[in-house]
Amino acid sequence: MDAASAAGESWVFWAIVIGYFIIVLGFGSWFARFNKSTSDFFFGGRRFSWWLITMSIVATGVGSHSFLKYSSKAFEHGVSGTMAYLNDWFFMPLFMFGWLPIIYYLRVRSIPEYFERRFNRTVRVLATIALLLFMLGYIGIGFVTMAKTLQPILAGVLGWDLITIIWVVAAVAGVYITFGGQTAVIFTDLLQGFILLLAGVALFFLGLNWFGGFDALWQILPPDFKLPLAHFNDDPSFNFVGIFWQDAIAGSIGFLFMNQGLIMRFMACKSVNDGRKAAAFNVLFLLPISAIAVACAGWIGRGMVIQGDLPADIAADDIFVRVTALLTTPAGFGFFVAAVTAALMSTVDTLINAVAAVVINDIYRPILEARKEVRADGHYLKVAMIVSALATIVGVGSAWGFSKFDSLYEAHGFFHATLTPPLVTAIFLGIFWRRFNSRGAVSVFIAGAGLMVLGRFFPGTLISPFSHGIEAVGNTPYKYIGALYNIVVCFGAGVVGTLWPYGKDVVSKALDPSNTAESRGLTLWTLGKARHNFKGGEPNDAPGETVTALWQIDDQLAEGTVCMDAAALSAMAANPGDLVYVCDRRWWLGGLRSAHARFESPEGATAGVVFIAPDIAEAAHFQEGREVTVEKEF
Amino acid sequence: VLTRVWLPYIYLYGVGGVAFFGGLFMVLRSEGFRRTDPRHRRWVGILVFGFVWYAAIHGIGTLAALYA
Repeated sequence: MDAASAAGESWVFWAIVIGYFIIVLGFGSWFARFNKSTSDFFFGGRRFSWWLITMSIVATGVGSHSFLKYSSKAFEHGVSGTMAYLNDWFFMPLFMFGWLPIIYYLRVRSIPEYFERRFNRTVRVLATIALLLFMLGYIGIGFVTMAKTLQPILAGVLGWDLITIIWVVAAVAGVYITFGGQTAVIFTDLLQGFILLLAGVALFFLGLNWFGGFDALWQILPPDFKLPLAHFNDDPSFNFVGIFWQDAIAGSIGFLFMNQGLIMRFMACKSVNDGRKAAAFNVLFLLPISAIAVACAGWIGRGMVIQGDLPADIAADDIFVRVTALLTTPAGFGFFVAAVTAALMSTVDTLINAVAAVVINDIYRPILEARKEVRADGHYLKVAMIVSALATIVGVGSAWGFSKFDSLYEAHGFFHATLTPPLVTAIFLGIFWRRFNSRGAVSVFIAGAGLMVLGRFFPGTLISPFSHGIEAVGNTPYKYIGALYNIVVCFGAGVVGTLWPYGKDVVSKALDPSNTAESRGLTLWTLGKARHNFKGGEPNDAPGETVTALWQIDDQLAEGTVCMDAAALSAMAANPGDLVYVCDRRWWLGGLRSAHARFESPEGATAGVVFIAPDIAEAAHFQEGREVTVEKEF
Repeated sequence: VLTRVWLPYIYLYGVGGVAFFGGLFMVLRSEGFRRTDPRHRRWVGILVFGFVWYAAIHGIGTLAALYA
């Protein structure tokens, strides 16, 4: 019996797994006492420092499915299994100076909201449908990953096959959601990513210890296995050029521009500049560390096979669980399995709730409003429960489809290559091409998606010209490089849809620098307008100092304002009406005690004191007698 | 086997470089970038550093796999 199956028979293993879930749910329930305000506090306040946001962003880099997916490919192909983690920098200029300021200054809370403001209601509905398909697919990915995590443990004990485990996992997920799983999401958002990252790094060092040090493992592995990039076009199941277009292009834009979790986190930053710092630190330093954390089980597993510690015919998707079981005690193994499955459960839970929220708010409620039907909250709650149950069943269906792929990585890659291009294209053209209009966006979602489907029916004719010499094999050929064809047809549909009515004036219209009315403040070229709207006046960008002061409540001040003496305003190069950020002086609080306000006229203010309106004092949670720092935002 | 080695690197930083520097050029001409703001000028330096940082990680990684 192997170590994973043996752990499945250990009471210590199951005690740790169940104990971990109880702690996660307990943590969530404690936070749930503050319920709605908790979510608002963490994601609605624009208050946090870059380093606190960076800690929270780890959860988006070390996703719940990452360990199984990347260790599997790292076992088969070596260091190049992590290349998807090291190719996210190419679009950072456009993210830092384009998308990030747009969502921040326009307070965009979701992708469909941006589509409605940039285009119209029709485009919002089309984007919502595309996002729903994306979320339903991800629920399936979550189920199949959980099942594959548990299969090596349960198969030996109970004899269940993968499909049976998928159904059991879906049933458990349903119970988990019903009995408060959503409260555990706050745990996922704040700590779970960090716990997974530390667990992965610990696994790496346990693996090095197994071989007697890094050098010993390095010398065991063949040179081909240690190269950081895969073969250019050989091996249809894992090749460089296909994954470049599927991940470095479509995936990176998808990760940076349409990941709802990232949008919420950047909205919680105290300023755009802190958002840039968090994004840069994450991609430059945390993603390379994350790559080691999620893939190291594959490298260690390959070394173990070469040494004869593991059988040569071991399934790649089992390698994470088998290596972890070998390197740790049953208690340690229980912690790893619990951390990964709890993260997966929270991910699936969030997605099912998000599907229900989107269906109710973006589809069902508008239909009832159009019919002028008024329903009580209880009715919507009942519909949401039915939608959640249907989403779970559809998720099981898609999990069954994904389980037919040779590996989780290929299933995920094909899924991304197919579903992200229309959304990515519409967002990208919407931000960076000022002439792009509603007609073009509709063309992307209708004509672009239609051509994508045609490509799947006739891959030899339509996709092979883009294949870079990759061989077409299996029922779903060109799993990764299909993303290039999909991006090209979506971009083509968007450009043709936008310019078609202009006939022979097409070139001059395409390059016309004037802004269409609908794009003001919503594109890279009109960010000045967005900043003006955000402040409600002309931005003041004169450089100034940060001032330290004691704080005092002044009941006479208008809501949302603070007041300081003229000398302090002069030091900050600030004027009455400018936006200001007031924060507890202790840096390690990361902005937990802080608030944004607007400067009032300085008449009668005492030096060394910042007078604040009562509502600002309540929002900031300042402590009596503690000094605060005051800095002009702009 | 080691034919596999350098074409992926050239393609990654060739096509990726077009995307990166094309995007940077677009940003420098947009309203999002204020050339009088020293913080914005510093960010351009950090962005270029990031590109070189990853090119070095992949380049040194390739050389280490071949010769270390």
